[in-house]
Amino acid sequence: MTALLAVARYEFRMQARKRSLWISAVLLGGALVVLQGERGPHHLPLDTPAREVVGTWALLFSILMPLAYGMLLADRLVRDRKLRVEPLLESLPHAPATRLAGKFLGGVAACGLPGLAALLIAVATELPKRHDPALIGWALVAFAVVTLPGIAMVAGFALVCPTLVSVPLFRVLFVGYWFWGNMLAPGLLPSLTGTLLTPIGDYAATWLLGNGATALFAGTPGILPFLRPDPTAATAAASVAVIVLFGLIPLAVAAFLAHRNARQTWPAKA
Amino acid sequence: MAIVAIAIQVTGAGHRRAELILVAGLEGVVPLAVAMAALTIVVRENCRELHLSLPTPHLVTIGRRLGVLGAITVAACVVYAAVAVVAGFRVGPGGGVLVWIAPTLWLAGFAALVAAISRSTVLASSAVALVWLGELFWAQTFVDNAGLRPLFLFFTTRLGDSPGWAGNRVGLLAGGLVFLVATAAVLLRPERLLTEEDA
Repeated sequence: MTALLAVARYEFRMQARKRSLWISAVLLGGALVVLQGERGPHHLPLDTPAREVVGTWALLFSILMPLAYGMLLADRLVRDRKLRVEPLLESLPHAPATRLAGKFLGGVAACGLPGLAALLIAVATELPKRHDPALIGWALVAFAVVTLPGIAMVAGFALVCPTLVSVPLFRVLFVGYWFWGNMLAPGLLPSLTGTLLTPIGDYAATWLLGNGATALFAGTPGILPFLRPDPTAATAAASVAVIVLFGLIPLAVAAFLAHRNARQTWPAKA
Repeated sequence: MAIVAIAIQVTGAGHRRAELILVAGLEGVVPLAVAMAALTIVVRENCRELHLSLPTPHLVTIGRRLGVLGAITVAACVVYAAVAVVAGFRVGPGGGVLVWIAPTLWLAGFAALVAAISRSTVLASSAVALVWLGELFWAQTFVDNAGLRPLFLFFTTRLGDSPGWAGNRVGLLAGGLVFLVATAAVLLRPERLLTEEDA
């Protein structure tokens, strides 16, 4: 546990201090704030419930900001190999899974910082207009159910996939996936948009809106109908769980492979 | 995209839809892939100091690498378009060359410029992702606004070769060339690229 916390803390501090994380997050989040249009949260009537206001902001930020997190985390494991420190790290007493889990937790925490900051800044701009302190509480809820699960899923894949394909190829596939799996209407092409597996937080945002309308495409008919239940509080919770668990799958596979490699190579090294 | 198009054609979902997917592959996926590769070429170099000590200017080295990327892209796209045409699909006017070359030049030039200025793959790839997804997300705005139309990467996929297509392609080609010239100007001082690690 100590090793896990140490790796997570080091990873967190390293990522959180990267200027590119903050500049990219401001670039992507700022573009959405500027270009949100009349359907954006800035144009909601003053009597709109706090949870709906915050839900709309959370959805707005989760449309593009996770791209910055994926780009940032894409070279975390590859970098160890590139700098030739991987064998050194493998020789340490803790299991490879601990290092992976620590990098994952630290990366998620670091990427969560700009996500939380964006929501709190949005709430700070809304408070003088709406005079509703519940906005702050709902911002934390929105961060937990919309922002954080998406970051966890992105982090899981961004850490592991570039070790199988190259980093540039992962970035191309990631951007393409983000459009196909989150924003492409299921009627146009078979896609994962509107399913429980949508890391943009469609189901959770729909629950937060609480006005009977879907945030984007949650529950819209399409392929894999069993992943498209009607949006409710229960399905929103299920979506959060499924998104996080799905993000852990590549980590589990990578940890298993690393453990097996260590067992196979250790006697030969000895 | 070709596999998706074949699947759509085989499942009987429509020749027109399969054709649209093929065009989207050329006009959408190729520029994104080439842009990500281009920014990596500009930023990632483990032996930059060694290159700076050689008689060949570093700008020429990067230019040659980008040239190889361009040659591979041309070869792959020509084969892709030729196979599509032989299979009975229409991939745009004139064999579809301008369908992919114009947005590819623009986005790759933009990626190279941001990479040269920022020296960060994270920042450059985020900027490319923002432009690519933003143009898809706000496509109607780009179509409706005459000032933005020359910057619209997905004109053929969205509107076919309707009026304004040629102007859009010329605008993208010109913008791409401007970006590449600006990138070259930045790379004329290659010592700016020196950094210990991607920030």
